[in-house]
Amino acid sequence: MSLIVLSGLGVGLVFGYALQRGRFCMNSATRDSVLLRDYTLLKAVGVAILVEMIGFALLDVTGITAAAPKPFFWGANLVGSFTFGIGMVLAGACASGLTYRTGEGMVSAMVAAIGLAIGAFYTAGGFMNPLAKSLQESTVLKTADGANLTLANILGVPYYLLALGIAIVAIVAWVLLAKPLSLENAAARTKAAKAQKGVSKGWGWMTTGIVIGLIAIVAFPLSAAAGRNYPLGITDGWIGLVKGIFLGEAFGWGTMLIIGIILGALVAALVNREFKFRAPSTGMLVQVFIGGLLMGFGAVCSGGCNIGHALSGLPLLSIGSIVATLSIVGGAWLTSHLIFNVFRRSPAA
Amino acid sequence: MEKTIAVTKTLDVCGLICPYPDMDTLATLKKMSKGEILEVILDYPLSLERIPRNLTKQGHKLLNVERIDGPKHRMFIEAHGLK
Repeated sequence: MSLIVLSGLGVGLVFGYALQRGRFCMNSATRDSVLLRDYTLLKAVGVAILVEMIGFALLDVTGITAAAPKPFFWGANLVGSFTFGIGMVLAGACASGLTYRTGEGMVSAMVAAIGLAIGAFYTAGGFMNPLAKSLQESTVLKTADGANLTLANILGVPYYLLALGIAIVAIVAWVLLAKPLSLENAAARTKAAKAQKGVSKGWGWMTTGIVIGLIAIVAFPLSAAAGRNYPLGITDGWIGLVKGIFLGEAFGWGTMLIIGIILGALVAALVNREFKFRAPSTGMLVQVFIGGLLMGFGAVCSGGCNIGHALSGLPLLSIGSIVATLSIVGGAWLTSHLIFNVFRRSPAA
Repeated sequence: MEKTIAVTKTLDVCGLICPYPDMDTLATLKKMSKGEILEVILDYPLSLERIPRNLTKQGHKLLNVERIDGPKHRMFIEAHGLK
Protein backbone atom coordinates (compact mmCIF):
# COMPACT_ATOMS: atom_id res chain seq x y z
CA MET A 1 0.00 0.00 0.00
CA SER A 2 1.37 3.40 -0.96
CA LEU A 3 2.15 5.98 1.67
CA ILE A 4 -0.46 8.36 0.27
CA VAL A 5 -3.26 5.77 0.62
CA LEU A 6 -2.00 5.12 4.13
CA SER A 7 -2.45 8.84 4.89
CA GLY A 8 -6.20 8.09 4.85
CA LEU A 9 -5.65 6.02 7.96
CA GLY A 10 -3.84 8.92 9.65
CA VAL A 11 -6.57 11.43 8.79
CA GLY A 12 -9.18 8.88 9.91
CA LEU A 13 -7.48 8.38 13.30
CA VAL A 14 -7.61 12.12 14.04
CA PHE A 15 -11.12 12.46 12.59
CA GLY A 16 -12.41 9.51 14.65
CA TYR A 17 -10.84 10.96 17.79
CA ALA A 18 -12.50 14.34 17.11
CA LEU A 19 -15.89 12.80 16.25
CA GLN A 20 -15.88 10.87 19.53
CA ARG A 21 -14.79 13.78 21.71
CA GLY A 22 -17.19 16.19 20.00
CA ARG A 23 -20.04 13.63 19.94
CA PHE A 24 -20.34 14.93 16.38
CA CYS A 25 -23.39 13.42 14.74
CA MET A 26 -25.39 15.13 12.04
CA ASN A 27 -28.44 12.99 12.73
CA SER A 28 -28.48 14.37 16.27
CA ALA A 29 -27.71 17.86 14.95
CA THR A 30 -30.76 17.97 12.65
CA ARG A 31 -33.12 16.02 14.84
CA ASP A 32 -32.30 17.75 18.14
CA SER A 33 -33.03 21.14 16.59
CA VAL A 34 -36.72 20.27 16.17
CA LEU A 35 -37.25 17.63 18.82
CA LEU A 36 -35.43 19.22 21.75
CA ARG A 37 -34.79 22.75 20.44
CA ASP A 38 -31.15 21.96 21.17
CA TYR A 39 -28.81 23.59 18.65
CA THR A 40 -25.45 22.60 20.16
CA LEU A 41 -24.42 20.05 17.53
CA LEU A 42 -25.94 22.09 14.71
CA LYS A 43 -23.63 24.93 15.74
CA ALA A 44 -20.64 22.56 15.59
CA VAL A 45 -21.66 21.54 12.04
CA GLY A 46 -22.04 25.22 11.06
CA VAL A 47 -18.59 26.13 12.39
CA ALA A 48 -16.99 23.17 10.58
CA ILE A 49 -18.60 24.15 7.26
CA LEU A 50 -17.49 27.79 7.59
CA VAL A 51 -13.90 26.77 8.43
CA GLU A 52 -13.93 24.44 5.42
CA MET A 53 -15.26 27.16 3.10
CA ILE A 54 -12.29 29.37 3.95
CA GLY A 55 -9.83 26.47 3.71
CA PHE A 56 -11.18 25.04 0.44
CA ALA A 57 -11.20 28.54 -1.09
CA LEU A 58 -7.52 28.97 -0.17
CA LEU A 59 -6.66 25.49 -1.50
CA ASP A 60 -8.45 26.41 -4.73
CA VAL A 61 -6.89 29.84 -5.28
CA THR A 62 -3.38 28.51 -4.57
CA GLY A 63 -3.97 25.63 -7.00
CA ILE A 64 -3.28 22.95 -4.37
CA THR A 65 -6.63 21.30 -5.12
CA ALA A 66 -9.18 21.77 -7.86
CA ALA A 67 -12.66 21.99 -6.33
CA ALA A 68 -14.59 18.94 -7.52
CA PRO A 69 -18.23 19.48 -6.60
CA LYS A 70 -20.68 16.59 -6.76
CA PRO A 71 -23.15 16.41 -9.68
CA PHE A 72 -26.69 17.73 -9.50
CA PHE A 73 -29.29 15.10 -10.44
CA TRP A 74 -32.37 16.49 -8.77
CA GLY A 75 -34.45 13.29 -8.89
CA ALA A 76 -31.71 11.13 -7.39
CA ASN A 77 -30.76 13.86 -4.89
CA LEU A 78 -34.35 14.25 -3.69
CA VAL A 79 -35.29 10.55 -3.53
CA GLY A 80 -31.89 9.28 -2.35
CA SER A 81 -31.23 11.87 0.32
CA PHE A 82 -34.82 11.83 1.63
CA THR A 83 -34.49 8.04 2.01
CA PHE A 84 -31.11 8.61 3.70
CA GLY A 85 -32.77 11.04 6.15
CA ILE A 86 -35.45 8.49 7.06
CA GLY A 87 -32.76 5.82 7.44
CA MET A 88 -30.51 7.82 9.74
CA VAL A 89 -33.32 8.52 12.23
CA LEU A 90 -34.22 4.80 12.27
CA ALA A 91 -30.52 3.93 12.69
CA GLY A 92 -30.09 6.54 15.44
CA ALA A 93 -26.93 7.87 13.76
CA CYS A 94 -25.66 9.50 10.59
CA ALA A 95 -22.97 7.83 8.46
CA SER A 96 -20.09 9.33 10.44
CA GLY A 97 -21.97 8.83 13.74
CA LEU A 98 -22.40 5.09 13.24
CA THR A 99 -18.76 4.78 12.15
CA TYR A 100 -17.29 6.46 15.23
CA ARG A 101 -19.74 4.80 17.65
CA THR A 102 -18.65 1.41 16.27
CA GLY A 103 -15.29 2.27 17.84
CA GLU A 104 -17.05 3.19 21.11
CA GLY A 105 -18.42 -0.37 21.38
CA MET A 106 -22.05 0.42 20.55
CA VAL A 107 -23.51 -2.75 19.00
CA SER A 108 -26.41 -0.74 17.52
CA ALA A 109 -23.88 1.32 15.52
CA MET A 110 -22.09 -1.81 14.27
CA VAL A 111 -25.38 -3.33 13.09
CA ALA A 112 -26.38 -0.07 11.38
CA ALA A 113 -22.94 0.08 9.74
CA ILE A 114 -23.37 -3.44 8.34
CA GLY A 115 -26.77 -2.36 6.97
CA LEU A 116 -25.22 0.75 5.41
CA ALA A 117 -22.38 -1.25 3.85
CA ILE A 118 -24.79 -3.84 2.36
CA GLY A 119 -27.27 -1.22 1.11
CA ALA A 120 -24.50 0.87 -0.43
CA PHE A 121 -22.74 -2.12 -2.01
CA TYR A 122 -25.89 -3.40 -3.76
CA THR A 123 -26.81 0.10 -4.94
CA ALA A 124 -23.31 0.87 -6.24
CA GLY A 125 -22.99 -2.31 -8.24
CA GLY A 126 -25.75 -4.81 -7.44
CA PHE A 127 -29.46 -5.29 -8.01
CA MET A 128 -30.44 -1.81 -6.75
CA ASN A 129 -28.04 -0.13 -9.17
CA PRO A 130 -30.43 0.21 -12.19
CA LEU A 131 -32.94 2.18 -10.08
CA ALA A 132 -30.33 4.61 -8.74
CA LYS A 133 -28.63 4.93 -12.11
CA SER A 134 -31.82 5.66 -14.05
CA LEU A 135 -32.85 8.27 -11.46
CA GLN A 136 -29.45 9.93 -11.79
CA GLU A 137 -29.26 9.85 -15.57
CA SER A 138 -32.82 11.01 -16.22
CA THR A 139 -32.59 14.08 -13.94
CA VAL A 140 -28.98 15.24 -14.28
CA LEU A 141 -28.44 18.95 -14.98
CA LYS A 142 -25.09 20.48 -15.96
CA THR A 143 -23.73 23.81 -17.16
CA ALA A 144 -23.52 24.49 -20.92
CA ASP A 145 -19.89 23.27 -20.97
CA GLY A 146 -20.68 20.12 -19.02
CA ALA A 147 -19.49 21.09 -15.52
CA ASN A 148 -21.35 20.15 -12.35
CA LEU A 149 -23.62 22.99 -11.22
CA THR A 150 -22.44 25.13 -8.32
CA LEU A 151 -23.56 28.48 -6.91
CA ALA A 152 -20.30 29.88 -8.30
CA ASN A 153 -20.72 28.82 -11.92
CA ILE A 154 -24.43 29.76 -11.95
CA LEU A 155 -23.54 33.28 -10.77
CA GLY A 156 -20.42 33.36 -12.95
CA VAL A 157 -18.13 34.17 -10.00
CA PRO A 158 -14.84 32.36 -9.22
CA TYR A 159 -15.40 29.66 -6.57
CA TYR A 160 -12.86 30.96 -4.08
CA LEU A 161 -14.29 34.51 -4.13
CA LEU A 162 -17.86 33.37 -3.55
CA ALA A 163 -16.88 30.83 -0.86
CA LEU A 164 -14.79 33.41 1.02
CA GLY A 165 -17.56 36.01 0.64
CA ILE A 166 -20.28 33.71 1.97
CA ALA A 167 -18.07 32.57 4.86
CA ILE A 168 -17.21 36.11 5.92
CA VAL A 169 -20.83 37.35 5.70
CA ALA A 170 -22.03 34.30 7.65
CA ILE A 171 -19.41 34.71 10.38
CA VAL A 172 -20.16 38.43 10.80
CA ALA A 173 -23.92 37.77 10.88
CA TRP A 174 -23.44 34.97 13.42
CA VAL A 175 -21.33 37.15 15.73
CA LEU A 176 -23.81 40.04 15.50
CA LEU A 177 -26.92 37.92 15.97
CA ALA A 178 -25.59 35.61 18.68
CA LYS A 179 -27.40 36.21 21.92
CA PRO A 180 -25.07 37.22 24.74
CA LEU A 181 -25.15 34.78 27.62
CA SER A 182 -27.74 36.04 30.12
CA LEU A 183 -26.89 36.11 33.83
CA GLU A 184 -29.66 33.65 34.56
CA ASN A 185 -28.34 31.20 31.96
CA ALA A 186 -24.79 31.59 33.18
CA ALA A 187 -25.86 30.83 36.75
CA ALA A 188 -27.79 27.76 35.60
CA ARG A 189 -24.73 26.57 33.67
CA THR A 190 -22.38 26.97 36.61
CA LYS A 191 -24.81 25.02 38.79
CA ALA A 192 -25.15 22.25 36.21
CA ALA A 193 -21.37 22.11 35.79
CA LYS A 194 -20.98 21.72 39.55
CA ALA A 195 -23.40 18.79 39.62
CA GLN A 196 -21.44 17.11 36.82
CA LYS A 197 -17.99 17.30 38.40
CA GLY A 198 -15.82 14.24 37.73
CA VAL A 199 -18.16 13.00 35.03
CA SER A 200 -17.31 12.21 31.38
CA LYS A 201 -17.17 15.37 29.34
CA GLY A 202 -16.50 15.95 25.65
CA TRP A 203 -15.45 19.01 23.67
CA GLY A 204 -17.62 22.10 23.26
CA TRP A 205 -19.24 22.86 19.91
CA MET A 206 -16.76 25.56 18.90
CA THR A 207 -13.69 23.34 19.43
CA THR A 208 -15.39 20.43 17.69
CA GLY A 209 -16.39 22.54 14.68
CA ILE A 210 -12.96 24.11 14.22
CA VAL A 211 -11.06 20.82 14.62
CA ILE A 212 -13.32 18.93 12.19
CA GLY A 213 -13.15 21.80 9.67
CA LEU A 214 -9.32 21.74 9.83
CA ILE A 215 -9.22 17.94 9.43
CA ALA A 216 -11.32 18.26 6.24
CA ILE A 217 -8.92 20.89 4.84
CA VAL A 218 -5.91 18.60 5.44
CA ALA A 219 -7.85 15.60 4.09
CA PHE A 220 -8.71 17.16 0.71
CA PRO A 221 -5.21 17.39 -0.89
CA LEU A 222 -4.11 14.03 0.62
CA SER A 223 -7.20 12.28 -0.72
CA ALA A 224 -6.73 13.99 -4.10
CA ALA A 225 -3.09 12.82 -4.24
CA ALA A 226 -4.38 9.27 -3.74
CA GLY A 227 -6.55 9.68 -6.84
CA ARG A 228 -9.77 10.44 -4.96
CA ASN A 229 -10.34 14.12 -5.70
CA TYR A 230 -12.75 14.89 -2.87
CA PRO A 231 -12.64 15.86 0.83
CA LEU A 232 -14.15 13.66 3.54
CA GLY A 233 -16.78 11.00 2.77
CA ILE A 234 -17.97 7.87 4.54
CA THR A 235 -20.06 5.72 2.21
CA ASP A 236 -17.37 5.02 -0.42
CA GLY A 237 -15.14 3.77 2.38
CA TRP A 238 -17.72 1.25 3.57
CA ILE A 239 -18.28 0.02 -0.01
CA GLY A 240 -14.49 -0.37 -0.34
CA LEU A 241 -14.40 -2.34 2.91
CA VAL A 242 -17.02 -4.81 1.58
CA LYS A 243 -15.12 -5.11 -1.73
CA GLY A 244 -11.81 -5.59 0.08
CA ILE A 245 -13.11 -8.29 2.42
CA PHE A 246 -15.33 -10.23 0.02
CA LEU A 247 -13.83 -9.55 -3.42
CA GLY A 248 -10.19 -9.15 -2.45
CA GLU A 249 -9.84 -5.62 -3.87
CA ALA A 250 -7.16 -3.34 -2.42
CA PHE A 251 -8.35 -0.77 0.13
CA GLY A 252 -8.42 2.80 -1.18
CA TRP A 253 -8.01 6.11 0.68
CA GLY A 254 -11.70 6.24 1.64
CA THR A 255 -11.61 2.77 3.21
CA MET A 256 -8.42 3.58 5.15
CA LEU A 257 -10.26 6.70 6.37
CA ILE A 258 -13.15 4.77 7.93
CA ILE A 259 -10.81 2.16 9.45
CA GLY A 260 -8.94 5.13 10.95
CA ILE A 261 -12.19 6.67 12.26
CA ILE A 262 -13.14 3.46 14.06
CA LEU A 263 -9.65 3.11 15.60
CA GLY A 264 -9.42 6.82 16.47
CA ALA A 265 -12.79 6.71 18.23
CA LEU A 266 -11.73 3.51 20.00
CA VAL A 267 -8.61 5.26 21.33
CA ALA A 268 -10.62 8.34 22.39
CA ALA A 269 -13.20 6.16 24.15
CA LEU A 270 -10.56 4.02 25.91
CA VAL A 271 -8.51 7.02 27.07
CA ASN A 272 -11.62 8.72 28.45
CA ARG A 273 -13.11 5.56 30.00
CA GLU A 274 -16.07 5.60 27.61
CA PHE A 275 -15.54 2.28 25.83
CA LYS A 276 -17.98 -0.55 26.49
CA PHE A 277 -19.81 -3.15 24.41
CA ARG A 278 -23.48 -2.27 24.83
CA ALA A 279 -26.59 -3.34 22.95
CA PRO A 280 -30.29 -2.47 22.87
CA SER A 281 -33.16 -4.98 22.38
CA THR A 282 -33.36 -7.22 19.30
CA GLY A 283 -36.29 -5.19 18.02
CA MET A 284 -34.22 -2.04 18.06
CA LEU A 285 -31.32 -3.82 16.35
CA VAL A 286 -33.70 -4.79 13.52
CA GLN A 287 -34.80 -1.15 13.30
CA VAL A 288 -31.22 0.17 13.06
CA PHE A 289 -30.32 -2.48 10.46
CA ILE A 290 -33.24 -1.40 8.24
CA GLY A 291 -32.20 2.21 8.84
CA GLY A 292 -28.67 1.35 7.72
CA LEU A 293 -29.93 -0.33 4.52
CA LEU A 294 -31.98 2.78 3.65
CA MET A 295 -28.96 5.00 4.35
CA GLY A 296 -26.76 2.88 2.09
CA PHE A 297 -29.21 2.98 -0.79
CA GLY A 298 -29.93 6.69 -0.28
CA ALA A 299 -26.29 7.73 -0.08
CA VAL A 300 -25.25 5.95 -3.27
CA CYS A 301 -28.39 7.04 -5.17
CA SER A 302 -27.84 10.69 -4.20
CA GLY A 303 -24.08 10.53 -4.71
CA GLY A 304 -23.15 11.03 -1.05
CA CYS A 305 -24.04 10.72 2.62
CA ASN A 306 -24.28 13.51 5.18
CA ILE A 307 -20.49 13.90 5.19
CA GLY A 308 -20.09 13.77 1.40
CA HIS A 309 -22.94 16.19 0.80
CA ALA A 310 -23.37 18.41 3.87
CA LEU A 311 -19.87 18.53 5.36
CA SER A 312 -17.89 18.38 2.09
CA GLY A 313 -20.35 19.39 -0.65
CA LEU A 314 -21.89 22.50 0.97
CA PRO A 315 -18.54 24.29 1.34
CA LEU A 316 -17.83 23.43 -2.32
CA LEU A 317 -21.16 25.19 -3.11
CA SER A 318 -22.46 22.25 -5.16
CA ILE A 319 -26.14 22.61 -6.10
CA GLY A 320 -26.53 18.82 -5.86
CA SER A 321 -25.16 18.88 -2.30
CA ILE A 322 -27.42 21.80 -1.29
CA VAL A 323 -30.52 19.97 -2.56
CA ALA A 324 -29.31 16.69 -1.01
CA THR A 325 -28.69 18.32 2.39
CA LEU A 326 -32.15 19.92 2.44
CA SER A 327 -33.62 16.58 1.44
CA ILE A 328 -31.75 14.68 4.21
CA VAL A 329 -33.04 17.24 6.73
CA GLY A 330 -36.60 16.87 5.37
CA GLY A 331 -36.53 13.07 5.63
CA ALA A 332 -35.02 13.23 9.12
CA TRP A 333 -37.52 15.79 10.43
CA LEU A 334 -40.55 13.91 9.08
CA THR A 335 -39.34 10.60 10.54
CA SER A 336 -38.43 12.12 13.94
CA HIS A 337 -41.83 13.77 14.12
CA LEU A 338 -43.63 10.51 13.31
CA ILE A 339 -41.58 8.38 15.72
CA PHE A 340 -41.32 10.72 18.68
CA ASN A 341 -44.37 12.99 18.47
CA VAL A 342 -47.07 11.03 16.64
CA PHE A 343 -46.37 7.40 17.62
CA ARG A 344 -44.70 8.18 20.89
CA ARG A 345 -43.25 5.09 22.55
CA SER A 346 -43.64 5.07 26.29
CA PRO A 347 -40.51 4.51 28.35
CA ALA A 348 -39.91 1.05 29.79
CA ALA A 349 -39.62 2.07 33.43
CA MET B 1 -24.91 9.86 47.09
CA GLU B 2 -27.61 7.15 46.93
CA LYS B 3 -28.15 7.37 50.65
CA THR B 4 -28.69 11.08 50.76
CA ILE B 5 -31.03 11.29 47.77
CA ALA B 6 -34.43 9.63 48.16
CA VAL B 7 -35.13 8.21 44.72
CA THR B 8 -38.78 8.00 43.64
CA LYS B 9 -38.20 6.13 40.42
CA THR B 10 -35.31 4.56 38.47
CA LEU B 11 -35.03 4.53 34.70
CA ASP B 12 -32.42 2.37 32.95
CA VAL B 13 -31.66 3.53 29.40
CA CYS B 14 -28.37 1.67 28.90
CA GLY B 15 -27.63 0.49 25.36
CA LEU B 16 -30.44 2.53 23.83
CA ILE B 17 -29.82 4.36 20.58
CA CYS B 18 -29.89 8.10 20.09
CA PRO B 19 -32.08 9.93 21.21
CA TYR B 20 -34.16 7.43 23.24
CA PRO B 21 -32.22 8.06 26.48
CA ASP B 22 -33.18 11.75 26.31
CA MET B 23 -36.75 11.22 25.13
CA ASP B 24 -37.48 8.53 27.74
CA THR B 25 -35.97 10.63 30.53
CA LEU B 26 -37.95 13.75 29.62
CA ALA B 27 -41.19 11.76 29.10
CA THR B 28 -40.80 10.08 32.50
CA LEU B 29 -40.10 13.40 34.24
CA LYS B 30 -43.22 14.86 32.68
CA LYS B 31 -45.36 12.24 34.43
CA MET B 32 -43.80 12.80 37.87
CA SER B 33 -44.98 15.17 40.59
CA LYS B 34 -43.10 18.20 41.83
CA GLY B 35 -40.15 17.31 44.04
CA GLU B 36 -40.05 13.63 43.10
CA ILE B 37 -36.59 12.32 42.21
CA LEU B 38 -35.80 10.36 39.06
CA GLU B 39 -32.64 8.28 38.91
CA VAL B 40 -31.44 7.62 35.34
CA ILE B 41 -28.81 4.98 34.57
CA LEU B 42 -27.21 5.67 31.18
CA ASP B 43 -24.11 4.77 29.19
CA TYR B 44 -24.37 7.00 26.12
CA PRO B 45 -21.88 9.92 26.27
CA LEU B 46 -23.90 12.26 24.04
CA SER B 47 -27.02 11.97 26.22
CA LEU B 48 -24.95 12.39 29.36
CA GLU B 49 -24.25 15.94 28.18
CA ARG B 50 -27.50 16.60 26.34
CA ILE B 51 -29.98 15.62 29.09
CA PRO B 52 -28.62 18.18 31.61
CA ARG B 53 -28.68 20.81 28.85
CA ASN B 54 -32.35 20.25 28.10
CA LEU B 55 -34.04 19.35 31.34
CA THR B 56 -33.64 22.82 32.83
CA LYS B 57 -35.67 24.23 29.92
CA GLN B 58 -38.64 22.30 31.32
CA GLY B 59 -37.96 23.43 34.86
CA HIS B 60 -36.48 20.16 36.15
CA LYS B 61 -33.40 20.28 38.34
CA LEU B 62 -30.22 18.26 37.91
CA LEU B 63 -29.13 17.25 41.40
CA ASN B 64 -26.10 15.10 40.74
CA VAL B 65 -24.32 12.89 38.24
CA GLU B 66 -21.81 10.21 39.13
CA ARG B 67 -19.82 7.65 37.22
CA ILE B 68 -20.66 4.03 37.98
CA ASP B 69 -18.12 2.39 35.66
CA GLY B 70 -16.72 3.34 32.23
CA PRO B 71 -19.37 5.20 30.23
CA LYS B 72 -22.07 4.09 32.67
CA HIS B 73 -23.34 6.95 34.81
CA ARG B 74 -26.09 7.60 37.33
CA MET B 75 -28.02 10.86 37.15
CA PHE B 76 -30.41 12.29 39.76
CA ILE B 77 -33.07 14.72 38.61
CA GLU B 78 -35.74 16.53 40.61
CA ALA B 79 -39.01 16.75 38.67
CA HIS B 80 -40.66 20.12 38.22
CA GLY B 81 -44.11 18.58 38.40
CA LEU B 82 -45.89 19.40 35.18
CA LYS B 83 -48.56 16.86 36.03
